[in-house]
Amino acid sequence: MDARDLDLRRRTYAVIVETGRAPRAEELGDSGEVLAGWRRLHDGHALVLNPATDEIRMLNPFSVVPSAFRVRARDRWWYANCAWDAFGVCACLHVDGRVETSCPDCGEPIAVEIREAKPDDESLRFHVLVPAAHWWDDIVFT
Amino acid sequence: MNLFRSEEHIERWLAGREPGATMTATKLSELAHAWWGDRVSPDWVPHTREQNQAVLDRLGLTGEFWRLA
Repeated sequence: MDARDLDLRRRTYAVIVETGRAPRAEELGDSGEVLAGWRRLHDGHALVLNPATDEIRMLNPFSVVPSAFRVRARDRWWYANCAWDAFGVCACLHVDGRVETSCPDCGEPIAVEIREAKPDDESLRFHVLVPAAHWWDDIVFT
Repeated sequence: MNLFRSEEHIERWLAGREPGATMTATKLSELAHAWWGDRVSPDWVPHTREQNQAVLDRLGLTGEFWRLA
C-alpha cells in the first residue's frame, strides 16, 4: 500500500465521515484510477468492495449498505458490519453513541448506550463464531 | 459477530454448534476502541499482523482462536 493508495483511502474515508455515505469513484478523480486504487486497497484489507459492482461495501467499521447494526453518533445514524464494528463507529469517531441491533436468538431488540467508551448494559454478551485466522476468508460472513 | 442478551441466548442460538469466543459488552468496547480508534485518522497506516495480535494479547484475547492469519 503506497502513499498514493493511502491518500485515496484517506479521501474515501473523509467522505463517509463527513456525509455518512461512501463516495462514488468519479467524486474522487478519474474513475478508472480510483477503481484500480480501491481494488488494491481491497486486496490489502483496507476497505471491502462488492465484487460484482466494484462499489464500496465496507469502510470498516462502517457498512455502506444497510445492516442489522445501527449506530447513533455525531447526530447521524450509521450502519456497521457487526457488533464489534458498531462499537467501533463510536471508537473511531471518538464520540458517545447508541448501538441498536437485535438478539439473534430471540429477536428482541437490543439498545446500548456508550458513554466515554463504556456501555450501559453489562448483561449483554458479544460472541465471535469464526476463529481469527479465518476472518478474511469471507469477511461478509464473519 | 453478534450481540446477545445473555450467555443463555448464545447457547440456545448455537444449537449444539461449536461455540466461538464470548465476552462482555465492556470488553467488546475496550476491544473496539483499541482496534478501531485510529481508523479515520488522516495519519492512518495499515497495522501489521503483529500490531493487531498485540492489541488482542493486551486484552487477554489469547490462544488459538484469537491467532490471526
